[in-house]
Amino acid sequence: MNKQERYLGTNIPLKIYGLSEKSVTITFGTEIDNDLLYLITGFNQLLLQNSFNGLITTVPAYTTLTVFYDPLTVMLSDLPGEGCFEKVSAHLNKIAAIETEKSKVMANHLVIPVCYGGDFGHDVLTVARHNKLSESEVIEMHTAGYYTVFMIGFVPGFAYMGGMDNRLATPRKEVPAAKIPAGSVGIAGNQTGIYPMETPGGWQIIGRTPVKMFDVSRKQPSFLKGGDRVTFQAVDMDEFNAYGIEV
Amino acid sequence: MKISIIKPGLLSTIQDMGRYRYLSQAVPVSGAMDELAHRLANKAVGNDDNDATIEFTYADASFKAETPILISYSGDGAFLVYNNELMPAEKPLFFPAGSVIRLINNPIGMRTYLAVAGGWEVPDVMKSKSTYLTAGFGGFKGRKLQKADVLVSNTILNEVSSKILSQLIERSLTYPHWRISRESLLPKKRQKIRVVLANEICWFDATSILSFLTGTYSIDLRSNRMGYHLSGKRLVKKVKKELLSTAVTPGTIQVTGSGNLVILMADCQTTGGYPRIAHVAAVDLPLCAQLKPGDSIQFSEISGEEAEELYLEREHDLSLITMAISLKYI
Repeated sequence: MNKQERYLGTNIPLKIYGLSEKSVTITFGTEIDNDLLYLITGFNQLLLQNSFNGLITTVPAYTTLTVFYDPLTVMLSDLPGEGCFEKVSAHLNKIAAIETEKSKVMANHLVIPVCYGGDFGHDVLTVARHNKLSESEVIEMHTAGYYTVFMIGFVPGFAYMGGMDNRLATPRKEVPAAKIPAGSVGIAGNQTGIYPMETPGGWQIIGRTPVKMFDVSRKQPSFLKGGDRVTFQAVDMDEFNAYGIEV
Repeated sequence: MKISIIKPGLLSTIQDMGRYRYLSQAVPVSGAMDELAHRLANKAVGNDDNDATIEFTYADASFKAETPILISYSGDGAFLVYNNELMPAEKPLFFPAGSVIRLINNPIGMRTYLAVAGGWEVPDVMKSKSTYLTAGFGGFKGRKLQKADVLVSNTILNEVSSKILSQLIERSLTYPHWRISRESLLPKKRQKIRVVLANEICWFDATSILSFLTGTYSIDLRSNRMGYHLSGKRLVKKVKKELLSTAVTPGTIQVTGSGNLVILMADCQTTGGYPRIAHVAAVDLPLCAQLKPGDSIQFSEISGEEAEELYLEREHDLSLITMAISLKYI
Protein backbone atom coordinates (compact mmCIF):
# COMPACT_ATOMS: atom_id res chain seq x y z
CA MET A 1 0.00 0.00 0.00
CA ASN A 2 1.47 3.31 -1.05
CA LYS A 3 1.70 5.91 1.64
CA GLN A 4 0.39 8.74 -0.46
CA GLU A 5 1.04 12.19 0.93
CA ARG A 6 -1.97 13.89 -0.61
CA TYR A 7 -4.49 14.11 -3.42
CA LEU A 8 -5.37 17.04 -5.62
CA GLY A 9 -8.13 19.44 -4.68
CA THR A 10 -7.15 20.02 -1.04
CA ASN A 11 -5.37 22.81 0.77
CA ILE A 12 -2.82 20.57 2.47
CA PRO A 13 0.57 22.12 1.58
CA LEU A 14 2.72 20.13 -0.88
CA LYS A 15 6.04 18.67 0.23
CA ILE A 16 8.55 20.73 -1.73
CA TYR A 17 12.34 20.92 -1.57
CA GLY A 18 14.84 23.03 -3.50
CA LEU A 19 16.94 21.09 -6.02
CA SER A 20 18.98 24.08 -7.19
CA GLU A 21 18.60 27.85 -7.57
CA LYS A 22 16.53 27.13 -10.66
CA SER A 23 14.42 24.16 -9.62
CA VAL A 24 12.20 22.71 -6.91
CA THR A 25 10.96 19.15 -6.46
CA ILE A 26 7.52 18.16 -5.19
CA THR A 27 7.34 14.79 -3.41
CA PHE A 28 3.97 13.13 -3.90
CA GLY A 29 4.58 9.74 -2.31
CA THR A 30 7.14 7.13 -1.38
CA GLU A 31 6.54 4.09 -3.58
CA ILE A 32 6.06 3.30 -7.25
CA ASP A 33 2.37 2.86 -7.98
CA ASN A 34 -0.20 3.56 -10.67
CA ASP A 35 -2.38 5.88 -8.56
CA LEU A 36 0.64 8.00 -7.78
CA LEU A 37 1.51 8.10 -11.47
CA TYR A 38 -2.01 9.43 -12.20
CA LEU A 39 -1.60 12.05 -9.51
CA ILE A 40 1.78 13.23 -10.81
CA THR A 41 0.69 13.14 -14.47
CA GLY A 42 -2.52 14.98 -13.61
CA PHE A 43 -0.71 17.62 -11.57
CA ASN A 44 1.86 18.07 -14.32
CA GLN A 45 -0.85 18.59 -16.95
CA LEU A 46 -2.64 21.10 -14.71
CA LEU A 47 0.59 23.00 -14.08
CA LEU A 48 1.46 23.18 -17.76
CA GLN A 49 -2.05 24.50 -18.51
CA ASN A 50 -1.80 27.01 -15.64
CA SER A 51 1.86 27.90 -15.78
CA PHE A 52 3.56 30.83 -14.06
CA ASN A 53 5.90 33.44 -15.53
CA GLY A 54 9.39 31.96 -15.67
CA LEU A 55 8.39 28.28 -15.82
CA ILE A 56 10.87 26.50 -18.10
CA THR A 57 9.97 22.83 -17.90
CA THR A 58 8.92 20.00 -15.61
CA VAL A 59 10.41 16.54 -15.04
CA PRO A 60 8.07 13.82 -13.74
CA ALA A 61 9.65 10.84 -11.96
CA TYR A 62 8.38 7.84 -9.94
CA THR A 63 7.27 9.80 -6.87
CA THR A 64 8.25 13.37 -7.68
CA LEU A 65 7.68 16.23 -10.08
CA THR A 66 10.53 18.70 -10.54
CA VAL A 67 9.82 22.21 -11.79
CA PHE A 68 12.55 24.23 -13.54
CA TYR A 69 12.26 28.01 -13.76
CA ASP A 70 14.14 31.18 -14.54
CA PRO A 71 14.80 32.89 -11.19
CA LEU A 72 15.01 36.40 -12.68
CA THR A 73 11.54 36.16 -14.23
CA VAL A 74 10.08 34.58 -11.10
CA MET A 75 11.48 37.39 -8.94
CA LEU A 76 9.77 39.97 -11.18
CA SER A 77 6.42 38.17 -11.00
CA ASP A 78 3.69 39.15 -8.56
CA LEU A 79 3.56 35.71 -6.92
CA PRO A 80 3.48 36.02 -3.12
CA GLY A 81 6.65 35.26 -1.15
CA GLU A 82 10.17 36.50 -0.51
CA GLY A 83 12.43 34.47 -2.79
CA CYS A 84 11.93 32.16 -5.77
CA PHE A 85 11.39 29.09 -3.61
CA GLU A 86 8.45 30.72 -1.78
CA LYS A 87 7.01 32.25 -4.93
CA VAL A 88 7.11 29.04 -6.95
CA SER A 89 5.81 27.02 -3.98
CA ALA A 90 2.88 29.42 -3.64
CA HIS A 91 1.93 28.82 -7.25
CA LEU A 92 2.30 25.05 -6.99
CA ASN A 93 0.07 24.97 -3.90
CA LYS A 94 -2.53 26.99 -5.78
CA ILE A 95 -2.48 24.37 -8.56
CA ALA A 96 -2.79 21.56 -6.01
CA ALA A 97 -5.98 23.09 -4.65
CA ILE A 98 -7.71 22.77 -8.04
CA GLU A 99 -10.07 19.83 -7.93
CA THR A 100 -9.43 17.32 -10.71
CA GLU A 101 -11.03 14.03 -11.54
CA LYS A 102 -8.81 11.08 -12.25
CA SER A 103 -10.68 10.48 -15.50
CA LYS A 104 -9.57 13.89 -16.80
CA VAL A 105 -5.92 12.82 -16.77
CA MET A 106 -4.91 12.23 -20.35
CA ALA A 107 -3.06 9.00 -21.08
CA ASN A 108 -2.04 7.89 -24.57
CA HIS A 109 -2.06 4.24 -25.49
CA LEU A 110 0.68 3.25 -27.90
CA VAL A 111 1.23 -0.07 -29.66
CA ILE A 112 4.88 -0.85 -30.31
CA PRO A 113 5.69 -3.51 -32.95
CA VAL A 114 8.51 -5.86 -31.93
CA CYS A 115 10.29 -8.53 -33.97
CA TYR A 116 11.16 -11.07 -31.27
CA GLY A 117 14.01 -13.57 -31.16
CA GLY A 118 16.47 -14.44 -33.91
CA ASP A 119 19.23 -11.97 -34.66
CA PHE A 120 17.20 -9.20 -33.05
CA GLY A 121 16.73 -10.96 -29.72
CA HIS A 122 19.57 -13.32 -28.92
CA ASP A 123 18.59 -13.56 -25.27
CA VAL A 124 15.03 -14.89 -25.65
CA LEU A 125 16.42 -18.33 -24.90
CA THR A 126 18.14 -17.08 -21.73
CA VAL A 127 14.86 -15.57 -20.52
CA ALA A 128 12.98 -18.78 -21.44
CA ARG A 129 15.46 -21.09 -19.70
CA HIS A 130 15.70 -18.91 -16.61
CA ASN A 131 11.92 -19.02 -16.18
CA LYS A 132 11.39 -22.58 -17.43
CA LEU A 133 9.30 -21.39 -20.36
CA SER A 134 9.36 -21.96 -24.10
CA GLU A 135 10.47 -19.15 -26.41
CA SER A 136 6.95 -18.67 -27.72
CA GLU A 137 5.59 -18.46 -24.17
CA VAL A 138 8.07 -15.67 -23.45
CA ILE A 139 6.85 -13.76 -26.51
CA GLU A 140 3.19 -14.42 -25.66
CA MET A 141 3.60 -13.18 -22.10
CA HIS A 142 5.55 -10.13 -23.20
CA THR A 143 2.92 -9.13 -25.77
CA ALA A 144 0.04 -9.88 -23.37
CA GLY A 145 1.25 -7.25 -20.90
CA TYR A 146 -0.25 -3.79 -20.47
CA TYR A 147 2.59 -1.49 -19.54
CA THR A 148 2.77 1.90 -17.88
CA VAL A 149 5.48 4.48 -18.54
CA PHE A 150 6.52 5.89 -15.18
CA MET A 151 9.22 8.22 -16.38
CA ILE A 152 11.81 8.92 -19.08
CA GLY A 153 15.42 8.85 -17.88
CA PHE A 154 18.88 7.29 -18.26
CA VAL A 155 19.38 8.35 -21.92
CA PRO A 156 17.16 10.50 -24.19
CA GLY A 157 13.87 8.66 -24.80
CA PHE A 158 14.46 5.72 -22.44
CA ALA A 159 11.16 4.79 -20.76
CA TYR A 160 11.04 3.25 -17.29
CA MET A 161 8.02 0.94 -17.66
CA GLY A 162 6.07 -1.06 -15.13
CA GLY A 163 3.63 -3.89 -15.62
CA MET A 164 5.74 -6.77 -16.89
CA ASP A 165 4.60 -10.29 -16.00
CA ASN A 166 6.83 -11.35 -13.09
CA ARG A 167 7.20 -14.81 -14.64
CA LEU A 168 9.52 -13.16 -17.22
CA ALA A 169 11.85 -11.60 -14.64
CA THR A 170 15.48 -12.37 -15.50
CA PRO A 171 18.69 -10.92 -14.01
CA ARG A 172 20.93 -8.65 -16.07
CA LYS A 173 23.85 -10.14 -17.96
CA GLU A 174 26.92 -10.68 -15.84
CA VAL A 175 29.07 -8.96 -18.46
CA PRO A 176 27.29 -6.05 -20.16
CA ALA A 177 27.32 -6.02 -23.97
CA ALA A 178 29.54 -3.31 -25.45
CA LYS A 179 26.97 -2.34 -28.06
CA ILE A 180 23.23 -2.79 -27.94
CA PRO A 181 21.55 -1.60 -31.16
CA ALA A 182 18.92 1.14 -31.06
CA GLY A 183 15.38 -0.26 -30.77
CA SER A 184 16.44 -3.32 -28.77
CA VAL A 185 13.77 -4.52 -26.33
CA GLY A 186 15.20 -5.91 -23.14
CA ILE A 187 14.45 -7.36 -19.73
CA ALA A 188 16.36 -6.62 -16.52
CA GLY A 189 14.97 -7.99 -13.27
CA ASN A 190 11.24 -7.32 -13.41
CA GLN A 191 11.58 -4.36 -15.75
CA THR A 192 11.26 -4.19 -19.50
CA GLY A 193 12.53 -1.37 -21.69
CA ILE A 194 13.68 -0.27 -25.12
CA TYR A 195 17.12 1.14 -25.93
CA PRO A 196 16.49 4.40 -27.85
CA MET A 197 20.06 4.60 -29.14
CA GLU A 198 23.08 2.38 -29.45
CA THR A 199 24.70 2.15 -26.02
CA PRO A 200 26.49 -0.45 -23.93
CA GLY A 201 24.07 -2.33 -21.69
CA GLY A 202 23.41 -5.32 -19.50
CA TRP A 203 19.78 -6.10 -20.28
CA GLN A 204 18.65 -9.42 -21.77
CA ILE A 205 17.66 -8.53 -25.34
CA ILE A 206 14.55 -10.34 -26.58
CA GLY A 207 13.66 -8.40 -29.74
CA ARG A 208 13.82 -5.16 -31.65
CA THR A 209 11.31 -2.50 -32.64
CA PRO A 210 11.48 -0.56 -35.93
CA VAL A 211 10.00 2.45 -34.09
CA LYS A 212 12.48 5.26 -33.51
CA MET A 213 12.18 5.69 -29.76
CA PHE A 214 14.05 8.99 -29.97
CA ASP A 215 14.19 11.20 -33.03
CA VAL A 216 15.38 14.80 -32.82
CA SER A 217 13.40 15.72 -35.96
CA ARG A 218 10.05 15.04 -34.24
CA LYS A 219 8.19 17.74 -32.29
CA GLN A 220 8.23 15.36 -29.33
CA PRO A 221 11.59 13.62 -29.88
CA SER A 222 10.88 10.91 -27.29
CA PHE A 223 8.30 8.43 -28.61
CA LEU A 224 7.02 7.83 -25.08
CA LYS A 225 6.40 10.10 -22.14
CA GLY A 226 5.54 9.64 -18.47
CA GLY A 227 1.94 8.43 -18.02
CA ASP A 228 1.69 6.68 -21.42
CA ARG A 229 0.28 3.13 -21.71
CA VAL A 230 2.07 0.65 -23.93
CA THR A 231 1.41 -2.75 -25.47
CA PHE A 232 3.81 -4.72 -27.64
CA GLN A 233 2.75 -6.44 -30.85
CA ALA A 234 4.79 -9.27 -32.34
CA VAL A 235 5.73 -8.70 -35.99
CA ASP A 236 7.80 -10.79 -38.41
CA MET A 237 10.90 -9.68 -40.27
CA ASP A 238 8.95 -8.53 -43.35
CA GLU A 239 6.64 -6.37 -41.28
CA PHE A 240 9.67 -5.04 -39.39
CA ASN A 241 11.38 -4.05 -42.64
CA ALA A 242 8.20 -2.56 -44.10
CA TYR A 243 7.57 -0.42 -41.03
CA GLY A 244 7.38 3.26 -41.82
CA ILE A 245 7.48 2.73 -45.58
CA GLU A 246 4.37 4.05 -47.32
CA VAL A 247 3.00 1.54 -49.80
CA MET B 1 33.51 35.43 -40.50
CA LYS B 2 35.11 32.08 -40.94
CA ILE B 3 37.82 30.00 -39.31
CA SER B 4 39.33 26.64 -40.09
CA ILE B 5 40.59 24.26 -37.42
CA ILE B 6 44.27 23.45 -37.80
CA LYS B 7 44.53 21.45 -34.59
CA PRO B 8 41.35 20.65 -32.67
CA GLY B 9 42.87 19.94 -29.23
CA LEU B 10 41.68 17.28 -26.80
CA LEU B 11 37.94 17.98 -26.86
CA SER B 12 36.50 21.00 -28.61
CA THR B 13 32.74 21.35 -28.96
CA ILE B 14 30.17 24.01 -29.78
CA GLN B 15 28.13 24.99 -26.71
CA ASP B 16 25.58 27.57 -25.64
CA MET B 17 23.71 27.95 -22.35
CA GLY B 18 22.07 24.56 -22.63
CA ARG B 19 18.98 22.68 -23.65
CA TYR B 20 16.45 22.98 -20.83
CA ARG B 21 13.13 22.30 -22.50
CA TYR B 22 13.51 18.57 -23.14
CA LEU B 23 14.58 17.38 -19.69
CA SER B 24 11.37 15.36 -19.29
CA GLN B 25 12.42 13.34 -22.35
CA ALA B 26 15.79 12.68 -20.66
CA VAL B 27 17.69 15.07 -22.94
CA PRO B 28 20.53 16.47 -20.79
CA VAL B 29 21.09 20.20 -20.35
CA SER B 30 24.59 20.13 -21.90
CA GLY B 31 25.89 23.63 -22.71
CA ALA B 32 29.05 25.36 -21.56
CA MET B 33 30.59 23.76 -18.46
CA ASP B 34 31.88 27.18 -17.33
CA GLU B 35 28.82 29.23 -18.12
CA LEU B 36 30.41 32.38 -16.71
CA ALA B 37 33.43 32.25 -19.03
CA HIS B 38 31.14 31.40 -21.96
CA ARG B 39 28.95 34.42 -21.25
CA LEU B 40 31.88 36.81 -20.74
CA ALA B 41 33.45 35.73 -24.04
CA ASN B 42 30.13 36.49 -25.73
CA LYS B 43 29.65 39.81 -23.97
CA ALA B 44 33.12 40.98 -25.03
CA VAL B 45 32.09 40.89 -28.72
CA GLY B 46 28.63 42.30 -28.06
CA ASN B 47 26.81 38.95 -28.44
CA ASP B 48 23.84 37.57 -26.56
CA ASP B 49 24.89 35.32 -23.67
CA ASN B 50 23.26 32.31 -25.33
CA ASP B 51 25.16 32.61 -28.62
CA ALA B 52 27.26 29.56 -29.42
CA THR B 53 30.95 29.48 -28.46
CA ILE B 54 33.63 26.84 -28.89
CA GLU B 55 34.54 25.10 -25.64
CA PHE B 56 38.21 24.05 -25.74
CA THR B 57 39.55 21.51 -23.26
CA TYR B 58 43.14 22.36 -22.23
CA ALA B 59 45.32 23.85 -24.98
CA ASP B 60 47.23 22.32 -27.87
CA ALA B 61 44.78 23.65 -30.44
CA SER B 62 45.06 26.17 -33.24
CA PHE B 63 42.92 27.72 -35.93
CA LYS B 64 43.21 30.06 -38.88
CA ALA B 65 41.13 33.11 -39.72
CA GLU B 66 39.84 32.47 -43.25
CA THR B 67 38.26 35.94 -43.29
CA PRO B 68 38.80 38.92 -41.01
CA ILE B 69 37.37 37.91 -37.61
CA LEU B 70 36.20 39.61 -34.43
CA ILE B 71 36.58 37.15 -31.55
CA SER B 72 37.11 37.04 -27.80
CA TYR B 73 37.96 34.36 -25.29
CA SER B 74 37.56 33.61 -21.61
CA GLY B 75 38.31 30.72 -19.28
CA ASP B 76 41.25 29.07 -17.58
CA GLY B 77 42.33 26.24 -19.86
CA ALA B 78 44.42 28.19 -22.33
CA PHE B 79 45.81 31.53 -23.48
CA LEU B 80 45.43 32.68 -27.05
CA VAL B 81 48.70 33.41 -28.81
CA TYR B 82 49.22 35.30 -32.07
CA ASN B 83 52.67 35.95 -33.56
CA ASN B 84 54.19 34.79 -30.26
CA GLU B 85 52.24 37.46 -28.43
CA LEU B 86 49.84 36.61 -25.61
CA MET B 87 46.33 37.87 -26.39
CA PRO B 88 44.30 39.53 -23.64
CA ALA B 89 41.15 37.68 -22.53
CA GLU B 90 37.62 39.07 -22.08
CA LYS B 91 38.23 41.69 -24.74
CA PRO B 92 37.22 41.94 -28.43
CA LEU B 93 40.14 40.98 -30.69
CA PHE B 94 40.18 41.78 -34.39
CA PHE B 95 42.37 39.62 -36.65
CA PRO B 96 42.92 40.05 -40.38
CA ALA B 97 42.31 37.12 -42.73
CA GLY B 98 45.12 34.58 -42.73
CA SER B 99 45.97 35.00 -39.03
CA VAL B 100 46.91 31.80 -37.24
CA ILE B 101 45.93 31.73 -33.58
CA ARG B 102 47.22 29.12 -31.13
CA LEU B 103 46.07 28.04 -27.70
CA ILE B 104 48.84 27.51 -25.15
CA ASN B 105 48.45 25.95 -21.77
CA ASN B 106 47.06 27.92 -18.84
CA PRO B 107 47.96 25.89 -15.73
CA ILE B 108 45.04 27.26 -13.69
CA GLY B 109 42.17 25.41 -15.28
CA MET B 110 40.76 23.28 -18.02
CA ARG B 111 38.22 25.01 -20.26
CA THR B 112 38.35 28.04 -22.53
CA TYR B 113 35.56 29.60 -24.58
CA LEU B 114 35.97 31.23 -27.98
CA ALA B 115 33.22 33.58 -29.08
CA VAL B 116 32.85 35.20 -32.49
CA ALA B 117 30.81 38.32 -33.24
CA GLY B 118 27.35 37.04 -34.17
CA GLY B 119 27.95 33.61 -32.60
CA TRP B 120 29.08 30.39 -34.29
CA GLU B 121 26.45 29.27 -36.77
CA VAL B 122 25.25 25.69 -36.39
CA PRO B 123 21.68 24.37 -36.67
CA ASP B 124 19.43 24.47 -33.62
CA VAL B 125 18.63 21.01 -32.36
CA MET B 126 15.77 21.02 -29.87
CA LYS B 127 16.14 24.80 -29.51
CA SER B 128 19.85 24.75 -28.62
CA LYS B 129 23.21 24.75 -30.37
CA SER B 130 24.91 22.72 -27.63
CA THR B 131 26.71 19.51 -28.51
CA TYR B 132 25.66 16.31 -26.74
CA LEU B 133 28.30 13.80 -27.74
CA THR B 134 26.78 10.69 -26.13
CA ALA B 135 23.79 10.79 -28.46
CA GLY B 136 25.64 12.59 -31.25
CA PHE B 137 23.36 15.57 -31.73
CA GLY B 138 23.67 19.34 -31.60
CA GLY B 139 26.67 21.59 -32.18
CA PHE B 140 28.87 20.92 -35.19
CA LYS B 141 27.38 17.78 -36.78
CA GLY B 142 26.83 16.27 -33.34
CA ARG B 143 30.53 15.69 -32.81
CA LYS B 144 33.72 17.25 -31.47
CA LEU B 145 35.70 19.49 -33.79
CA GLN B 146 38.27 17.89 -36.09
CA LYS B 147 41.18 19.06 -38.16
CA ALA B 148 40.06 21.01 -41.27
CA ASP B 149 36.55 21.72 -39.96
CA VAL B 150 35.35 25.11 -41.15
CA LEU B 151 33.22 27.17 -38.79
CA VAL B 152 31.28 30.22 -39.81
CA SER B 153 29.60 32.90 -37.77
CA ASN B 154 26.07 34.18 -37.99
CA THR B 155 26.40 37.01 -40.53
CA ILE B 156 23.73 39.19 -38.95
CA LEU B 157 25.44 41.32 -36.32
CA ASN B 158 23.58 43.28 -33.69
CA GLU B 159 24.25 46.98 -33.25
CA VAL B 160 26.89 46.59 -30.53
CA SER B 161 28.87 43.92 -32.40
CA SER B 162 28.75 45.98 -35.62
CA LYS B 163 30.02 49.07 -33.82
CA ILE B 164 32.85 47.14 -32.12
CA LEU B 165 33.82 45.73 -35.50
CA SER B 166 33.74 49.05 -37.32
CA GLN B 167 35.99 50.64 -34.69
CA LEU B 168 38.54 47.82 -34.81
CA ILE B 169 38.59 46.85 -38.49
CA GLU B 170 42.17 47.27 -39.73
CA ARG B 171 44.85 45.47 -41.74
CA SER B 172 46.44 44.11 -38.59
CA LEU B 173 45.54 42.86 -35.11
CA THR B 174 43.60 45.44 -33.10
CA TYR B 175 41.82 45.54 -29.78
CA PRO B 176 40.41 48.27 -27.53
CA HIS B 177 41.76 49.40 -24.14
CA TRP B 178 38.81 48.16 -22.12
CA ARG B 179 38.29 44.63 -20.93
CA ILE B 180 35.77 42.83 -18.73
CA SER B 181 37.15 42.05 -15.28
CA ARG B 182 36.41 38.38 -14.79
CA GLU B 183 38.52 38.29 -11.60
CA SER B 184 36.10 40.65 -9.87
CA LEU B 185 33.32 38.08 -10.38
CA LEU B 186 35.29 35.13 -9.03
CA PRO B 187 35.95 34.47 -5.34
CA LYS B 188 39.55 34.72 -4.11
CA LYS B 189 39.64 31.19 -2.70
CA ARG B 190 38.82 29.11 -5.71
CA GLN B 191 39.25 25.72 -4.04
CA LYS B 192 36.40 26.52 -1.62
CA ILE B 193 33.12 25.40 -3.18
CA ARG B 194 29.93 26.67 -1.58
CA VAL B 195 27.13 24.13 -1.33
CA VAL B 196 23.52 23.93 -0.16
CA LEU B 197 22.64 20.75 1.74
CA ALA B 198 20.25 18.51 -0.19
CA ASN B 199 17.06 16.61 0.51
CA GLU B 200 18.68 13.31 1.59
CA ILE B 201 21.17 14.94 3.98
CA CYS B 202 19.68 13.17 7.00
CA TRP B 203 20.28 9.77 5.38
CA PHE B 204 23.95 10.18 6.33
CA ASP B 205 25.49 9.84 9.77
CA ALA B 206 26.83 12.90 11.59
CA THR B 207 30.49 11.92 11.09
CA SER B 208 29.92 11.68 7.35
CA ILE B 209 28.27 15.09 7.15
CA LEU B 210 31.13 16.52 9.18
CA SER B 211 33.77 15.00 6.91
CA PHE B 212 31.88 16.29 3.88
CA LEU B 213 31.95 19.85 5.23
CA THR B 214 35.48 19.82 6.67
CA GLY B 215 37.42 17.31 4.62
CA THR B 216 39.45 17.76 1.46
CA TYR B 217 38.37 16.02 -1.73
CA SER B 218 40.31 15.65 -4.92
CA ILE B 219 39.15 15.30 -8.49
CA ASP B 220 39.48 11.75 -9.75
CA LEU B 221 40.67 10.81 -13.24
CA ARG B 222 37.18 9.53 -14.07
CA SER B 223 35.84 13.03 -14.57
CA ASN B 224 34.28 14.46 -17.69
CA ARG B 225 31.44 16.66 -18.93
CA MET B 226 28.93 14.31 -17.29
CA GLY B 227 30.35 14.51 -13.81
CA TYR B 228 33.34 14.58 -11.48
CA HIS B 229 34.19 11.65 -9.29
CA LEU B 230 35.85 12.78 -6.08
CA SER B 231 38.26 10.91 -3.91
CA GLY B 232 38.35 11.58 -0.19
CA LYS B 233 36.61 10.40 2.92
CA ARG B 234 33.72 8.09 2.03
CA LEU B 235 30.30 8.84 3.41
CA VAL B 236 28.21 6.35 5.32
CA LYS B 237 24.44 6.09 5.06
CA LYS B 238 22.69 5.55 8.38
CA VAL B 239 19.44 4.42 6.76
CA LYS B 240 18.86 1.35 4.63
CA LYS B 241 16.62 3.29 2.25
CA GLU B 242 17.16 3.42 -1.51
CA LEU B 243 16.22 6.48 -3.53
CA LEU B 244 13.73 6.05 -6.36
CA SER B 245 15.07 7.77 -9.46
CA THR B 246 14.20 11.46 -9.44
CA ALA B 247 15.32 14.59 -11.27
CA VAL B 248 18.90 15.75 -10.80
CA THR B 249 20.64 18.75 -12.35
CA PRO B 250 24.17 20.04 -12.98
CA GLY B 251 25.62 20.86 -9.56
CA THR B 252 23.84 18.02 -7.76
CA ILE B 253 26.28 16.06 -5.54
CA GLN B 254 25.37 12.39 -5.41
CA VAL B 255 26.74 9.75 -3.06
CA THR B 256 27.30 6.43 -4.82
CA GLY B 257 26.73 3.00 -3.32
CA SER B 258 30.34 2.83 -2.18
CA GLY B 259 30.04 6.18 -0.40
CA ASN B 260 31.96 8.25 -2.96
CA LEU B 261 30.94 11.71 -4.10
CA VAL B 262 30.05 12.64 -7.67
CA ILE B 263 29.40 16.23 -8.73
CA LEU B 264 27.05 16.17 -11.71
CA MET B 265 28.05 18.47 -14.55
CA ALA B 266 26.58 19.80 -17.82
CA ASP B 267 26.03 16.50 -19.66
CA CYS B 268 24.63 14.64 -16.62
CA GLN B 269 21.59 12.38 -16.87
CA THR B 270 18.30 14.08 -16.12
CA THR B 271 17.36 11.62 -13.37
CA GLY B 272 19.37 9.70 -10.81
CA GLY B 273 18.86 7.16 -8.06
CA TYR B 274 21.73 7.97 -5.70
CA PRO B 275 20.99 9.98 -2.55
CA ARG B 276 22.06 13.60 -2.76
CA ILE B 277 24.07 15.24 0.01
CA ALA B 278 24.21 18.76 -1.42
CA HIS B 279 24.20 20.89 -4.53
CA VAL B 280 26.89 23.28 -5.64
CA ALA B 281 25.82 26.94 -5.48
CA ALA B 282 25.14 28.04 -9.06
CA VAL B 283 27.67 30.87 -8.75
CA ASP B 284 30.43 28.38 -7.88
CA LEU B 285 29.64 25.86 -10.62
CA PRO B 286 31.96 27.71 -13.07
CA LEU B 287 34.80 27.11 -10.56
CA CYS B 288 34.04 23.38 -10.67
CA ALA B 289 34.12 23.49 -14.47
CA GLN B 290 37.77 24.52 -14.33
CA LEU B 291 38.87 21.73 -11.93
CA LYS B 292 41.39 19.22 -13.26
CA PRO B 293 42.06 15.67 -12.12
CA GLY B 294 44.21 15.90 -8.99
CA ASP B 295 42.92 19.33 -7.91
CA SER B 296 41.72 19.57 -4.30
CA ILE B 297 38.55 21.23 -3.07
CA GLN B 298 36.69 21.81 0.16
CA PHE B 299 33.01 22.40 0.61
CA SER B 300 31.44 25.11 2.73
CA GLU B 301 27.78 25.24 3.58
CA ILE B 302 25.47 28.13 2.74
CA SER B 303 21.68 28.29 2.92
CA GLY B 304 19.37 27.99 -0.07
CA GLU B 305 18.39 31.65 0.42
CA GLU B 306 22.03 32.75 0.34
CA ALA B 307 22.64 30.71 -2.81
CA GLU B 308 19.66 32.36 -4.47
CA GLU B 309 20.82 35.84 -3.41
CA LEU B 310 24.32 35.16 -4.73
CA TYR B 311 22.79 33.99 -8.00
CA LEU B 312 20.62 37.10 -8.34
CA GLU B 313 23.58 39.38 -7.46
CA ARG B 314 25.72 37.65 -10.06
CA GLU B 315 23.02 38.09 -12.69
CA HIS B 316 22.73 41.75 -11.74
CA ASP B 317 26.51 42.22 -12.09
CA LEU B 318 26.44 40.49 -15.47
CA SER B 319 23.61 42.70 -16.72
CA LEU B 320 25.64 45.78 -15.68
CA ILE B 321 28.55 44.53 -17.79
CA THR B 322 26.29 44.19 -20.83
CA MET B 323 24.89 47.64 -20.22
CA ALA B 324 28.34 49.20 -19.83
CA ILE B 325 29.51 47.68 -23.13
CA SER B 326 26.40 48.86 -24.99
CA LEU B 327 26.75 52.36 -23.57
CA LYS B 328 30.32 52.49 -24.86
CA TYR B 329 29.19 51.84 -28.41
CA ILE B 330 25.61 53.04 -28.81
